[in-house]
Amino acid sequence: MDGRLANRWRLTVNEKKFIETALASNLRIDGRNPLEYRKIIIKFGREDGSSEVQLGQTHVMGFVTGQLVQPYQDRQNEGMLLIFTEFSPMAGPSFDPGHPGESAVELGRIVDRGLRDSRAVDTESLCVLSGKLVWAIRIDLHIVDNGGNLIDAANIAALAALLTFRRPECTLGGDDGQEVIVHPPEEREPLPLIVHHLPVAITFAFLGSEGKLVVDPTHSEEAVMAGRLIATVNANGDICAIQKAGGEGVPQSAIMHCLQLASMCAISITKKINSAVEAYSTERALRKIKRHPTVAGNVSVAGSDVKEQNKTVEQVGGSELSRHHIERLKVVSEETCSSRSNDNDGDIKSSEQGGTSRGESKAMNFLGGPSNWYGASTFQYFF
Amino acid sequence: MESERDDGRSPSQLRPLSCARNVLHRSHGSASWSQGDTKVLAAVYGPKAGTKKNENPEKACIEVIWKPKTGQIGKQEKEFEMILKRTLQSICILTLNPNTTTSIIIQVVNDDGALLVCAINAACAALIDAGIPLKHLAVAICCCLAEGGYVILDPTKLEEQKMRGFAYLVFPNSIVSVLPKGSSHVEG
Repeated sequence: MDGRLANRWRLTVNEKKFIETALASNLRIDGRNPLEYRKIIIKFGREDGSSEVQLGQTHVMGFVTGQLVQPYQDRQNEGMLLIFTEFSPMAGPSFDPGHPGESAVELGRIVDRGLRDSRAVDTESLCVLSGKLVWAIRIDLHIVDNGGNLIDAANIAALAALLTFRRPECTLGGDDGQEVIVHPPEEREPLPLIVHHLPVAITFAFLGSEGKLVVDPTHSEEAVMAGRLIATVNANGDICAIQKAGGEGVPQSAIMHCLQLASMCAISITKKINSAVEAYSTERALRKIKRHPTVAGNVSVAGSDVKEQNKTVEQVGGSELSRHHIERLKVVSEETCSSRSNDNDGDIKSSEQGGTSRGESKAMNFLGGPSNWYGASTFQYFF
Repeated sequence: MESERDDGRSPSQLRPLSCARNVLHRSHGSASWSQGDTKVLAAVYGPKAGTKKNENPEKACIEVIWKPKTGQIGKQEKEFEMILKRTLQSICILTLNPNTTTSIIIQVVNDDGALLVCAINAACAALIDAGIPLKHLAVAICCCLAEGGYVILDPTKLEEQKMRGFAYLVFPNSIVSVLPKGSSHVEG
């Protein structure tokens, strides 16, 4: 399709010069200083093992699923870790929905190397029956929005999803102890994966003729950069992997400097991941308590009374929204079937707030119209 | 016969809906639509220059790309793409920008029943966000035929598996397309 070339985005010469000149006085176009990371927001989905990471304008989703398969011939006692990366055409106008381009393959390889080769995930614990059945953990990374530095964001998404994934427990049974029984989550609590350490990828870009160093490049900076170095380190200061594939040559001192910076960044990122995962785990544990109707209203951990009443009333949608929003849905705090139509109203209203918190300021003014329209359309069926 | 559904809804009650516009930065238009636990993200790029090989260059072309949550793209994804493409072709004004392609990309975030319906609604919201001129909006709803022979709206995944048949209805102002899916004989 000839039109494709015309559709590709290109940086203008003016923008390029502006970025380089600004960097000469240690200024970046989004106001950060050269060694500063963008804001990281880690959210989790409804199911175990689904994460959503926002790094500035970059948006990546990670989904982890598990399956019982036959192990490889030469690794009969180990489970498998498979990483699939898809650059969705959603992320940018130049991404082809067909076969993955080289940047997609590179991203997949970097994340894969960080997790597998550094033995971050314990694969031996994934073995169920040696030589016959092992768990294959599949990580799907969907790049949804390309705001630069996809590798770091994808890595964080993969780690967050792995930490919150739960696999069903299976026991050996049957006459000869060779039959594998997989227990559903209602019967036995699913188990988390054993993750020894968290390898975090930090991307450094070298810009301009004298190789100025910036951390966490944005999309425009990536288009201007002369070279790139990705260091995968963990919070203990161990270097798991380094990738510098081509680009401008940099002196050895610059590389050592990068690695030191990477260790420092890794500590703060690891802390963020861990606190987000912990918050999710406690919320998940609270959710589990409420499955039994007998303890409905008696369990009162500070501040979550409203959420509990939500669950016992089985307002599944309402609880999902309340997880996303900071404000409590006071409308839903009442109770049961009678107030359902009111609840719909409350949910639609909070969707407006949800839209505000997600889309940035330009979305705010326009939320009134369409959301209200959707509010009206849902009531058509109330004849 | 009013039979209770698993989550306590009445047969004609929808799950709580929520929609957020402009959630992505690079795309020309984007929307996220969720019905209960089913959540779909839609992005629109367009109009871009040129049409695909087999398409009519005198009209605008709509391209739909469906991305499942996990797994390879199979026949079911292709079928969803085709249905979505035909639905959106009927609401877009195709004669306005000839020889252009508008791409709609659907990403499934979570599937808890009524997935295609959620996607149609999300795609329509994303087209509005992108400012693509439309004849009218497309509002989709899913109805199922339960065991007892009565109709329920907006099923969850568990309800869908137990149903005898289901239909997706897409309304502009009048019924545009009815896609019945089901195996059993429908009475009454």
